[in-house]
Amino acid sequence: MDRTWKTPIILAVAAVIVTMTAACSKPKPVVAPEVRRTPQPGAAPVGAERPSVVAPEPDLAAAPLPPGGVATGELPRDLAELNRLGYLKDVFFDTDKADLTAEARDILAANAAWLRQHPTVRILVEGHCDERHTAEYNLALGWRRANAVKNYLVSLGVDGGRIDTISYGEERPFALGHDESAWRLNRRAHFVIVAR
Amino acid sequence: MKKPALLAVLAALAISVPSAWSQEEVYLQVTNPGLTSVVMALPSPLARPGGESPAAKTFADTLRADLEQTAVIRLLEPERERLVDVDPSQPALTRQRWRSVGAQFLLDSSVATAGAQLVADVRLWDLASGEIAYSRRLQAPTNLAATMAHTLANELVRLFTGRPGPFLSRIAFISDRSGAKELWVMRWDGSEAQQLTSYRSITLGPAWSPDGQWLAFTSFLRGQPQLFLLRPTEGYLKPLSTMPGVNSSPSFSPDGRRVAFAAGGDGNTDIFVADVETGTIVRLTSSRAIETQPAWSPNGRQIAFTSTASGRPQIHLMDAEGTNVRQLTFSDTFADEAAWAPDGVRLAFTTMVDGRFQIAVLDMRTGTRTVVSGPGSNESPSWSPDGTMLAFVSNRTGSKQIFITDAAGQPRQLTRDGNNTAPAWVTQLQ
Repeated sequence: MDRTWKTPIILAVAAVIVTMTAACSKPKPVVAPEVRRTPQPGAAPVGAERPSVVAPEPDLAAAPLPPGGVATGELPRDLAELNRLGYLKDVFFDTDKADLTAEARDILAANAAWLRQHPTVRILVEGHCDERHTAEYNLALGWRRANAVKNYLVSLGVDGGRIDTISYGEERPFALGHDESAWRLNRRAHFVIVAR
Repeated sequence: MKKPALLAVLAALAISVPSAWSQEEVYLQVTNPGLTSVVMALPSPLARPGGESPAAKTFADTLRADLEQTAVIRLLEPERERLVDVDPSQPALTRQRWRSVGAQFLLDSSVATAGAQLVADVRLWDLASGEIAYSRRLQAPTNLAATMAHTLANELVRLFTGRPGPFLSRIAFISDRSGAKELWVMRWDGSEAQQLTSYRSITLGPAWSPDGQWLAFTSFLRGQPQLFLLRPTEGYLKPLSTMPGVNSSPSFSPDGRRVAFAAGGDGNTDIFVADVETGTIVRLTSSRAIETQPAWSPNGRQIAFTSTASGRPQIHLMDAEGTNVRQLTFSDTFADEAAWAPDGVRLAFTTMVDGRFQIAVLDMRTGTRTVVSGPGSNESPSWSPDGTMLAFVSNRTGSKQIFITDAAGQPRQLTRDGNNTAPAWVTQLQ
């Protein structure tokens, strides 16, 4: 089955939600298309179990308005909901590469800006691969991708202590097809907000 | 969860079957399937009292089925067998008749059932010399008739090759048939599959300890991929390496004391070695390239592994101390998943041909590289303990399934439910 078509839709859905949230500041429960799994129970040792360190509420009037128009204090409290809003965009990689493309750097610059503006947010960067290498090689490659992203965010001023990384290799593909249209979606670093 | 009965039976049987064959008794040195073989006549066993029991039939049928799977023994064709006039009163003359229709060896057997015990007397005749090459009395409870036949088949293969056959061996593998990728084990022919873990997480890449008592594998059960050791007979689990980041791709040293694996906390995986007893971890490589998939050589002196030092993943070789690194594969788009044959000469690995995974075998003595091509994508090779067969994963049926190459080099599908990957054939037979 080819699920690749769902990604633009979820982006569109996310955009709509952002608009709605900005308009009525009351996040509605949204039934998103099941385009991807939630992280497994226990798969993310960070976040939920950790005592949440709540920083003092930033002075909203003084702070520059973040992209998307939502300051930390107005972010949805529910992490699943927050992740559905798609503030942090995933980045994609060339075949068998962990190097960041120019496009990936642009996306990461935006992600870094958002993270700097929301200093209490903690994230998990998941490294993913397509199926065109062997399973355990891909585990190593996904690890490299996740850490390439982390290192770049750190170079842009994001505290590395806020960023955890994990490799899923080819174990959790986003698109289930067996051609380039699926593979290019599976060579990615995926962002998960694990604490706000 | 149900106790793995098969493992318990094998453990029990290993004690009662002494293996006394030395290298001097090897009749043929077979290094490649199909190159050398003997023709063996296998007439129905002579039935002694109780010899018509279901257990006796199981024994005879299982023995025949096993021997049909070997590369080294070819059973005399039935149409030739029918030409032989068996005269029990003239055994020497009968043996000559067997020889005249093309048999080189004759396996004479008689079976009897006494109470709950099955007893088989077996003699293997070398028809050229007229001498008895092998003689044995086997005895087992009737419910282990098949196991008794497997034991005999193993010994016959050992007689001809110097290495026991695979008939009691097991293959560990990863299956998602329960809904998550779990660790499983099955008999070498695909029967009696048993689920060993129920973590509902991701499990990868099992490896057997040389004594077949432990399985090392990667699990995400605590979040990050970490290495664990499982003793399947007892369900005993202990962590082997839980360094931050990735821990994967275990391979036992031949003495079973250490495990080579891939790990890397800083974003780049290297090869490490963990001491099984003490848990001490030593780093072997520290390059900026991806290094993974170590495979300890059968003599313990070398470790083959995958490295991207040359740009693309290629198989490299180093001494077990991490020194003397050199590249082994050059002509492949990529080369990964090195697997040593028990002879320590052949190295199977996964390469890519025309956009598909294929298994290649490198002869380390001659440098000859042979691609064992097949339909679909084929990956993750693992040798049978006697080095005559390969288990591998293929997607030729539309899902990932485990196959073996049988005696004639023909693929045989072992699994059908869900996706089944990462076969690890037990490395030695007890």
